[in-house]
Amino acid sequence: MPPAASPLPYTDTKPHGHADFYFAVNATFRFILARFGYEKLKRYWTDIGSGYYKPVSDNWKLGGLAAVAEYWRAFFVPEPGAEVEIMQADDAVTVEVRTCPLIKHLRDHGREIVPCLCQHCYYVNDAIAGPAGMTVRVKGGNGCCTQRFVLSSRDEPPQQPGEIKEATA
Amino acid sequence: MIGCYDFCGHYEWTFEWLHQQGGHAAVKAYWDEAIHRDSQVHAGRLIREKGFEGMKEYWGPTLADEGAVYERTVTDDVFRIDMHECPSKGFLLRNGLHQYADYCDHCMGWIGPLMKDAGFVIDHEHNHHGQCWWEMRRAADATPASVPGALSGSHDVRLRADWPQPATDHYERATDPDDKNTVV
Repeated sequence: MPPAASPLPYTDTKPHGHADFYFAVNATFRFILARFGYEKLKRYWTDIGSGYYKPVSDNWKLGGLAAVAEYWRAFFVPEPGAEVEIMQADDAVTVEVRTCPLIKHLRDHGREIVPCLCQHCYYVNDAIAGPAGMTVRVKGGNGCCTQRFVLSSRDEPPQQPGEIKEATA
Repeated sequence: MIGCYDFCGHYEWTFEWLHQQGGHAAVKAYWDEAIHRDSQVHAGRLIREKGFEGMKEYWGPTLADEGAVYERTVTDDVFRIDMHECPSKGFLLRNGLHQYADYCDHCMGWIGPLMKDAGFVIDHEHNHHGQCWWEMRRAADATPASVPGALSGSHDVRLRADWPQPATDHYERATDPDDKNTVV
Protein backbone atom coordinates (compact mmCIF):
# COMPACT_ATOMS: atom_id res chain seq x y z
CA MET A 1 0.00 0.00 0.00
CA PRO A 2 1.37 3.48 -0.75
CA PRO A 3 2.47 5.51 2.31
CA ALA A 4 0.03 7.93 3.92
CA ALA A 5 1.62 10.93 2.22
CA SER A 6 1.58 9.25 -1.15
CA PRO A 7 2.76 10.82 -4.40
CA LEU A 8 -0.18 9.00 -5.98
CA PRO A 9 -3.24 11.22 -6.42
CA TYR A 10 -5.75 8.45 -5.73
CA THR A 11 -5.14 5.79 -3.10
CA ASP A 12 -6.92 2.69 -1.91
CA THR A 13 -7.22 0.83 1.38
CA LYS A 14 -5.90 -2.43 -0.07
CA PRO A 15 -2.20 -3.04 -0.74
CA HIS A 16 -2.39 -3.85 -4.43
CA GLY A 17 -4.67 -3.54 -7.41
CA HIS A 18 -6.90 -6.32 -8.76
CA ALA A 19 -4.92 -7.63 -11.74
CA ASP A 20 -8.02 -8.69 -13.69
CA PHE A 21 -8.72 -5.00 -14.17
CA TYR A 22 -5.93 -5.15 -16.77
CA PHE A 23 -8.42 -7.13 -18.88
CA ALA A 24 -10.69 -4.09 -18.83
CA VAL A 25 -7.89 -1.67 -19.74
CA ASN A 26 -7.09 -3.76 -22.83
CA ALA A 27 -10.80 -4.15 -23.65
CA THR A 28 -11.39 -0.42 -23.31
CA PHE A 29 -8.71 0.35 -25.89
CA ARG A 30 -10.14 -2.31 -28.24
CA PHE A 31 -13.65 -0.88 -27.87
CA ILE A 32 -12.63 2.72 -28.57
CA LEU A 33 -10.46 1.64 -31.51
CA ALA A 34 -13.29 -0.40 -33.07
CA ARG A 35 -16.06 2.12 -32.47
CA PHE A 36 -14.30 5.44 -32.96
CA GLY A 37 -10.98 4.71 -34.69
CA TYR A 38 -7.28 5.17 -33.94
CA GLU A 39 -7.25 8.99 -33.86
CA LYS A 40 -9.98 8.96 -31.22
CA LEU A 41 -8.09 6.34 -29.21
CA LYS A 42 -5.05 8.65 -29.17
CA ARG A 43 -7.40 11.44 -28.08
CA TYR A 44 -8.68 9.23 -25.24
CA TRP A 45 -5.12 8.67 -24.08
CA THR A 46 -4.19 12.35 -24.15
CA ASP A 47 -7.51 13.36 -22.52
CA ILE A 48 -7.07 10.89 -19.67
CA GLY A 49 -3.49 12.13 -19.22
CA SER A 50 -4.47 15.80 -19.07
CA GLY A 51 -7.81 15.21 -17.27
CA TYR A 52 -7.92 12.29 -14.87
CA TYR A 53 -4.17 12.51 -14.18
CA LYS A 54 -4.06 16.32 -13.85
CA PRO A 55 -3.12 16.08 -10.15
CA VAL A 56 0.00 14.17 -11.23
CA SER A 57 0.90 16.95 -13.67
CA ASP A 58 0.41 19.55 -10.97
CA ASN A 59 2.68 17.61 -8.63
CA TRP A 60 5.39 17.22 -11.27
CA LYS A 61 5.20 20.94 -12.05
CA LEU A 62 5.83 21.73 -8.40
CA GLY A 63 8.37 19.02 -7.65
CA GLY A 64 10.24 18.67 -10.94
CA LEU A 65 12.06 15.49 -11.88
CA ALA A 66 12.30 14.38 -8.25
CA ALA A 67 8.49 14.26 -8.16
CA VAL A 68 8.48 12.24 -11.38
CA ALA A 69 10.79 9.65 -9.84
CA GLU A 70 8.76 9.53 -6.61
CA TYR A 71 5.54 9.05 -8.55
CA TRP A 72 6.78 6.12 -10.59
CA ARG A 73 8.36 4.45 -7.55
CA ALA A 74 5.00 4.61 -5.78
CA PHE A 75 2.97 3.79 -8.88
CA PHE A 76 4.45 0.38 -9.56
CA VAL A 77 4.40 -0.90 -5.96
CA PRO A 78 0.70 -1.90 -6.02
CA GLU A 79 0.72 -3.05 -9.67
CA PRO A 80 0.81 -6.88 -9.43
CA GLY A 81 3.76 -8.48 -11.21
CA ALA A 82 5.61 -5.27 -12.07
CA GLU A 83 9.41 -5.36 -12.20
CA VAL A 84 10.65 -1.84 -12.67
CA GLU A 85 13.72 0.24 -11.89
CA ILE A 86 13.57 4.02 -11.56
CA MET A 87 16.76 6.03 -12.12
CA GLN A 88 17.00 9.74 -11.51
CA ALA A 89 19.74 11.95 -12.99
CA ASP A 90 20.08 15.75 -13.03
CA ASP A 91 18.34 16.07 -16.37
CA ALA A 92 16.14 12.99 -16.71
CA VAL A 93 14.21 10.24 -14.97
CA THR A 94 14.41 6.83 -16.59
CA VAL A 95 11.75 4.21 -15.92
CA GLU A 96 13.15 0.85 -16.90
CA VAL A 97 10.20 -1.53 -17.16
CA ARG A 98 11.64 -5.04 -17.06
CA THR A 99 8.26 -6.75 -16.68
CA CYS A 100 5.19 -4.80 -17.71
CA PRO A 101 2.42 -6.01 -15.37
CA LEU A 102 -0.30 -5.25 -17.89
CA ILE A 103 1.22 -7.25 -20.76
CA LYS A 104 2.25 -10.03 -18.39
CA HIS A 105 -1.25 -10.52 -16.98
CA LEU A 106 -2.88 -10.47 -20.41
CA ARG A 107 -0.37 -13.04 -21.69
CA ASP A 108 -0.66 -15.22 -18.59
CA HIS A 109 -4.41 -15.47 -19.25
CA GLY A 110 -4.20 -15.94 -23.00
CA ARG A 111 -5.93 -12.65 -23.81
CA GLU A 112 -5.77 -11.10 -27.27
CA ILE A 113 -3.76 -7.91 -26.79
CA VAL A 114 -4.58 -4.72 -28.70
CA PRO A 115 -1.50 -4.31 -30.95
CA CYS A 116 -1.09 -0.57 -30.28
CA LEU A 117 -1.50 -1.02 -26.49
CA CYS A 118 2.08 0.04 -25.69
CA GLN A 119 1.54 3.40 -27.35
CA HIS A 120 -0.73 4.42 -24.49
CA CYS A 121 2.29 4.87 -22.24
CA TYR A 122 3.67 7.53 -24.57
CA TYR A 123 0.42 9.41 -25.16
CA VAL A 124 -0.84 9.29 -21.56
CA ASN A 125 2.52 10.08 -19.97
CA ASP A 126 3.36 12.86 -22.43
CA ALA A 127 -0.03 14.47 -21.71
CA ILE A 128 0.81 14.35 -18.00
CA ALA A 129 4.34 15.64 -18.53
CA GLY A 130 3.53 18.48 -20.96
CA PRO A 131 1.84 20.89 -18.53
CA ALA A 132 4.70 20.25 -16.09
CA GLY A 133 7.26 21.42 -18.66
CA MET A 134 8.48 17.93 -19.47
CA THR A 135 8.19 15.34 -22.17
CA VAL A 136 8.66 11.58 -22.41
CA ARG A 137 10.25 9.24 -24.92
CA VAL A 138 9.38 5.55 -24.98
CA LYS A 139 11.53 2.85 -26.49
CA GLY A 140 10.63 -0.82 -26.65
CA GLY A 141 7.35 -2.31 -25.51
CA ASN A 142 5.61 -5.66 -25.78
CA GLY A 143 6.48 -6.53 -22.20
CA CYS A 144 9.53 -4.39 -21.40
CA CYS A 145 10.47 -0.84 -22.30
CA THR A 146 12.40 2.26 -21.34
CA GLN A 147 10.55 5.49 -20.60
CA ARG A 148 12.69 8.63 -20.27
CA PHE A 149 11.21 11.81 -18.77
CA VAL A 150 13.14 14.99 -19.64
CA LEU A 151 12.59 18.72 -19.41
CA SER A 152 10.91 20.15 -22.53
CA SER A 153 13.64 22.80 -22.67
CA ARG A 154 16.12 20.13 -23.74
CA ASP A 155 14.65 20.11 -27.26
CA GLU A 156 14.49 16.35 -27.35
CA PRO A 157 13.98 14.84 -30.84
CA PRO A 158 10.34 13.86 -31.38
CA GLN A 159 9.06 10.45 -30.35
CA GLN A 160 9.55 8.05 -33.24
CA PRO A 161 6.45 5.85 -33.59
CA GLY A 162 8.61 2.97 -34.78
CA GLU A 163 10.47 2.91 -31.48
CA ILE A 164 7.35 1.60 -29.71
CA LYS A 165 6.79 -2.06 -30.46
CA GLU A 166 3.46 -3.64 -31.23
CA ALA A 167 2.11 -5.82 -28.43
CA THR A 168 1.58 -9.48 -29.14
CA ALA A 169 0.05 -12.39 -27.26
CA MET B 1 0.87 3.63 -17.85
CA ILE B 2 -2.75 3.18 -16.93
CA GLY B 3 -2.68 0.87 -13.93
CA CYS B 4 -5.04 -1.42 -12.06
CA TYR B 5 -4.52 0.01 -8.55
CA ASP B 6 -6.70 3.07 -9.25
CA PHE B 7 -8.74 1.30 -11.93
CA CYS B 8 -12.12 2.37 -10.59
CA GLY B 9 -11.09 6.00 -10.90
CA HIS B 10 -10.16 5.95 -14.58
CA TYR B 11 -12.96 3.48 -15.32
CA GLU B 12 -15.50 6.00 -14.02
CA TRP B 13 -13.73 8.83 -15.85
CA THR B 14 -13.98 6.77 -19.04
CA PHE B 15 -17.78 6.47 -18.73
CA GLU B 16 -18.10 10.25 -18.91
CA TRP B 17 -15.57 10.50 -21.74
CA LEU B 18 -17.54 7.94 -23.75
CA HIS B 19 -20.79 9.75 -22.92
CA GLN B 20 -19.35 12.94 -24.37
CA GLN B 21 -18.22 11.11 -27.53
CA GLY B 22 -21.33 9.05 -28.25
CA GLY B 23 -23.99 9.66 -25.62
CA HIS B 24 -25.70 6.99 -23.54
CA ALA B 25 -25.59 4.50 -26.43
CA ALA B 26 -21.79 4.52 -26.39
CA VAL B 27 -21.62 3.98 -22.62
CA LYS B 28 -24.17 1.16 -22.76
CA ALA B 29 -22.34 -0.49 -25.67
CA TYR B 30 -19.06 -0.18 -23.75
CA TRP B 31 -20.44 -2.01 -20.71
CA ASP B 32 -21.80 -4.80 -22.88
CA GLU B 33 -19.14 -5.16 -25.58
CA ALA B 34 -15.95 -4.20 -23.74
CA ILE B 35 -16.70 -5.32 -20.20
CA HIS B 36 -19.21 -8.19 -20.51
CA ARG B 37 -18.07 -9.74 -23.79
CA ASP B 38 -14.34 -8.94 -23.65
CA SER B 39 -12.86 -8.09 -20.25
CA GLN B 40 -15.17 -10.36 -18.22
CA VAL B 41 -15.59 -13.09 -20.81
CA HIS B 42 -14.45 -15.60 -18.19
CA ALA B 43 -17.38 -14.65 -15.93
CA GLY B 44 -19.88 -15.18 -18.73
CA ARG B 45 -18.42 -18.57 -19.56
CA LEU B 46 -18.56 -19.75 -15.93
CA ILE B 47 -22.14 -18.61 -15.36
CA ARG B 48 -23.50 -19.90 -18.67
CA GLU B 49 -21.92 -23.30 -18.05
CA LYS B 50 -22.47 -23.70 -14.30
CA GLY B 51 -25.31 -21.38 -13.32
CA PHE B 52 -25.38 -20.58 -9.59
CA GLU B 53 -22.20 -22.61 -9.06
CA GLY B 54 -20.48 -20.47 -11.68
CA MET B 55 -21.64 -17.32 -9.90
CA LYS B 56 -20.03 -18.62 -6.72
CA GLU B 57 -16.81 -19.45 -8.57
CA TYR B 58 -16.68 -16.02 -10.21
CA TRP B 59 -17.70 -13.66 -7.44
CA GLY B 60 -15.95 -15.48 -4.58
CA PRO B 61 -12.33 -14.87 -5.63
CA THR B 62 -13.08 -11.64 -7.49
CA LEU B 63 -14.77 -9.83 -4.62
CA ALA B 64 -12.16 -11.14 -2.18
CA ASP B 65 -9.31 -9.78 -4.30
CA GLU B 66 -11.10 -6.46 -4.75
CA GLY B 67 -11.51 -6.17 -0.96
CA ALA B 68 -15.30 -6.14 -0.81
CA VAL B 69 -17.22 -6.48 2.47
CA TYR B 70 -20.27 -8.50 1.51
CA GLU B 71 -22.47 -11.47 2.32
CA ARG B 72 -23.45 -14.18 -0.11
CA THR B 73 -26.62 -16.26 0.23
CA VAL B 74 -27.22 -19.12 -2.19
CA THR B 75 -30.15 -21.55 -2.39
CA ASP B 76 -31.23 -23.90 -5.18
CA ASP B 77 -33.25 -21.05 -6.69
CA VAL B 78 -31.48 -17.78 -5.98
CA PHE B 79 -28.02 -16.24 -5.72
CA ARG B 80 -28.03 -13.18 -3.48
CA ILE B 81 -25.30 -10.67 -2.67
CA ASP B 82 -25.56 -8.08 0.09
CA MET B 83 -22.78 -5.58 -0.56
CA HIS B 84 -21.97 -3.64 2.59
CA GLU B 85 -18.75 -1.97 1.41
CA CYS B 86 -18.40 -1.85 -2.34
CA PRO B 87 -14.66 -1.60 -3.05
CA SER B 88 -15.31 0.13 -6.33
CA LYS B 89 -17.75 2.85 -5.27
CA GLY B 90 -15.85 3.14 -2.01
CA PHE B 91 -12.69 4.03 -3.90
CA LEU B 92 -14.51 6.82 -5.72
CA LEU B 93 -16.11 8.19 -2.57
CA ARG B 94 -12.85 8.18 -0.60
CA ASN B 95 -11.00 9.93 -3.42
CA GLY B 96 -13.76 12.41 -4.23
CA LEU B 97 -14.12 11.21 -7.83
CA HIS B 98 -17.41 11.85 -9.59
CA GLN B 99 -17.50 12.44 -13.35
CA TYR B 100 -20.31 10.19 -14.59
CA ALA B 101 -24.00 10.53 -13.65
CA ASP B 102 -24.36 7.15 -11.89
CA TYR B 103 -21.29 4.97 -11.62
CA CYS B 104 -23.30 2.18 -10.00
CA ASP B 105 -25.18 1.58 -13.28
CA HIS B 106 -22.08 -0.03 -14.77
CA CYS B 107 -22.72 -3.26 -12.83
CA MET B 108 -26.16 -3.74 -14.37
CA GLY B 109 -24.57 -2.54 -17.62
CA TRP B 110 -22.40 -5.63 -17.94
CA ILE B 111 -23.95 -8.14 -15.52
CA GLY B 112 -27.45 -7.59 -16.93
CA PRO B 113 -26.65 -8.71 -20.50
CA LEU B 114 -24.50 -11.53 -19.11
CA MET B 115 -27.40 -12.86 -17.02
CA LYS B 116 -29.76 -12.54 -19.96
CA ASP B 117 -27.43 -14.69 -22.09
CA ALA B 118 -27.17 -17.21 -19.26
CA GLY B 119 -30.95 -17.41 -18.68
CA PHE B 120 -31.29 -15.41 -15.44
CA VAL B 121 -33.05 -12.22 -14.34
CA ILE B 122 -31.95 -9.77 -11.67
CA ASP B 123 -33.59 -7.90 -8.81
CA HIS B 124 -31.19 -5.21 -7.63
CA GLU B 125 -31.03 -1.99 -5.66
CA HIS B 126 -28.14 0.41 -5.00
CA ASN B 127 -27.96 3.48 -2.81
CA HIS B 128 -24.98 5.35 -4.34
CA HIS B 129 -23.10 5.11 -1.06
CA GLY B 130 -21.36 1.77 -1.57
CA GLN B 131 -24.21 -0.51 -0.55
CA CYS B 132 -26.42 -2.62 -2.79
CA TRP B 133 -28.12 -6.00 -3.04
CA TRP B 134 -28.60 -8.46 -5.89
CA GLU B 135 -30.84 -11.48 -6.41
CA MET B 136 -30.34 -13.64 -9.50
CA ARG B 137 -33.06 -16.16 -10.41
CA ARG B 138 -33.71 -18.31 -13.45
CA ALA B 139 -35.74 -16.38 -16.02
CA ALA B 140 -38.55 -18.97 -15.81
CA ASP B 141 -38.85 -18.46 -12.04
CA ALA B 142 -41.48 -15.76 -11.38
CA THR B 143 -40.65 -15.44 -7.67
CA PRO B 144 -40.47 -11.75 -6.71
CA ALA B 145 -37.55 -10.21 -4.85
CA SER B 146 -37.31 -11.18 -1.20
CA VAL B 147 -38.53 -8.88 1.55
CA PRO B 148 -35.81 -7.43 3.81
CA GLY B 149 -34.26 -10.08 6.04
CA ALA B 150 -36.07 -13.05 4.47
CA LEU B 151 -33.13 -14.48 2.55
CA SER B 152 -29.97 -13.20 4.19
CA GLY B 153 -31.29 -12.48 7.67
CA SER B 154 -29.40 -9.84 9.61
CA HIS B 155 -26.88 -9.56 6.77
CA ASP B 156 -29.53 -7.96 4.54
CA VAL B 157 -28.13 -4.60 3.53
CA ARG B 158 -31.64 -3.13 3.56
CA LEU B 159 -31.70 -3.52 7.34
CA ARG B 160 -28.77 -1.15 7.83
CA ALA B 161 -29.65 2.02 9.67
CA ASP B 162 -28.05 4.00 6.87
CA TRP B 163 -29.78 2.14 4.00
CA PRO B 164 -32.63 4.52 3.13
CA GLN B 165 -30.31 7.10 1.65
CA PRO B 166 -31.89 10.11 -0.06
CA ALA B 167 -32.38 8.01 -3.17
CA THR B 168 -32.06 4.39 -4.21
CA ASP B 169 -32.17 2.97 -7.72
CA HIS B 170 -33.86 -0.36 -8.16
CA TYR B 171 -34.41 -2.96 -10.85
CA GLU B 172 -37.03 -5.72 -11.00
CA ARG B 173 -36.46 -8.88 -13.06
CA ALA B 174 -34.08 -6.83 -15.17
CA THR B 175 -31.22 -7.52 -17.55
CA ASP B 176 -30.79 -4.04 -18.99
CA PRO B 177 -29.24 -0.97 -17.33
CA ASP B 178 -32.10 1.14 -18.68
CA ASP B 179 -34.71 -0.85 -16.71
CA LYS B 180 -34.07 1.36 -13.69
CA ASN B 181 -36.59 2.95 -11.33
CA THR B 182 -35.51 5.59 -8.85
CA VAL B 183 -36.99 5.93 -5.37
CA VAL B 184 -36.71 9.45 -4.00
